Amino acid sequence: MRIDAHAHIEPPGRSELNGDPWGRDRLLIDAADALEIDWLCCSCLAPRRPSSPEDFIACNTHLQHAIEAFPGRILGYAYVNPGYQREAVAEIERCVREFGFIGAKLYNEYKFTDPAVRPVIEKCIELDVLILHHAGHTWWPLPGQPNISDAGDFAQVVAEYPELKLICGHIAGGGDWEWTIKALREEPRLLADTSGSVVDEGMIEKAVALMGADRLLFACDMSMTAGVGKILGADITEEQRDAIFSGNIRRLLGGRI
Amino acid sequence: MLFDINAYLGAFALRELRHNDVAGLSAFMERKGIRRALVSAAEAITWKDCHSANRLLSERLAGTDGNIVPCAVINPGYAGWRRDLEEASCGMGMRAVKLYPHWHGYSLGDGCADEVVRAATDLGLPVLIPVRAVDRRQLGWLFDVPDVPLADIAALAGRHPDARFVVLNGLGFTGSPLAAPEGERPSNCWIEISRLPLFISRELPVLLEVLGASRLLFGTGMPFKYPDPVLLKMDKLGASRSETRAICGENAAELLGLA
Repeated sequence: MRIDAHAHIEPPGRSELNGDPWGRDRLLIDAADALEIDWLCCSCLAPRRPSSPEDFIACNTHLQHAIEAFPGRILGYAYVNPGYQREAVAEIERCVREFGFIGAKLYNEYKFTDPAVRPVIEKCIELDVLILHHAGHTWWPLPGQPNISDAGDFAQVVAEYPELKLICGHIAGGGDWEWTIKALREEPRLLADTSGSVVDEGMIEKAVALMGADRLLFACDMSMTAGVGKILGADITEEQRDAIFSGNIRRLLGGRI
Repeated sequence: MLFDINAYLGAFALRELRHNDVAGLSAFMERKGIRRALVSAAEAITWKDCHSANRLLSERLAGTDGNIVPCAVINPGYAGWRRDLEEASCGMGMRAVKLYPHWHGYSLGDGCADEVVRAATDLGLPVLIPVRAVDRRQLGWLFDVPDVPLADIAALAGRHPDARFVVLNGLGFTGSPLAAPEGERPSNCWIEISRLPLFISRELPVLLEVLGASRLLFGTGMPFKYPDPVLLKMDKLGASRSETRAICGENAAELLGLA
């Protein structure tokens, strides 16, 4: 089984293609079919960020419609802007309790260490759901991302909230992956997804060696052959490959899949 | 027969590479089902006198079976490059010239780029231009090297209609001058496919349709990159047998005079 832990559907108003109301999202499903990906853990990001509560609520409702349109293929993360604390917490609760979403998706509106994020963290702990966080560590400023978080930020927060199930997003799409892996090694409760367009040889082997295969989650973040190919190509055991492809996230989801 | 147009030997300045000596790369190629590869020296990306790396590559390949084909890296902004190019081609049997304009401190609009293209063409060598050596976001604190714009490559190709160009590690061709309608795009460019998406934006199938299989080349970037994503793309592309043969080997062999 293959479960993509980091994917996206199009925002409201952008899913249609050639008369098919879900045409653009169907391209993702078609790719998943071709690459034998059974489940896609998706969020729906607002195109205008930092997003307003109206926008992130609309995105999450749209995601729920996509889940219904593609039954048995999509699991949802509720995307919120944690700066709107009350609305963000309420939205996560709505999405988890009413729609069965598996967690929250945070982008780069706030650094994860910012106290503004704490109510969201505490709500996810209370609901026992995941947080998937956009991440990156570069040695040069990333345009438009002054508040991007990195694995060091995550380690700092998880030390304070040891019950938190936190996934560091796209180690292969967030800059210096060697730095990220070494930072992740220092906090054994942190998880990471392998998505991103970067397919540097040795990356997965190094992550397995330093972090352990049980902390890595297969993902593509829309770079589909890159996502699958680097796991297939890595010089690791079949047991480790299976754990990364699906075993670890199935464990985190408590037998839901 | 898989012929990888985009492979390397040796050490890179910014991170560890594996499978990067002759025995290691040969074994890696065999495991991945890749029969031949055009290889340049990874050291040449950052060494000031990059021809020293060409010489090292030539020494490494001495006595090998010919499945690893050497490619020269030339910096036309550096002293003595004409002699280096001639030595690489005539003395070391290198079958192509690779340029790293932004790593080597010039742009493709500079006169030295025109000069090296003319010199390579006079020797019958194709010119390979990697859009990037490494994802810019991954570079360390020592370097900030932007990608080579596709428009610069198209302009260079337009100025040298007799030259042959191969674009490596590129992305975003659709909408660029390199994938313009026939008659409007340079007719002397080939595109290596390692970064082209097969799914969602579907750039690879779109280029196959627009440019035809004769203009696409299989390449992996090994051992910088896992070859498996490209192998997966070829497996899922749905190209005909003749298109697959062209992309995976025949085009490269013809370009390099090894057909």
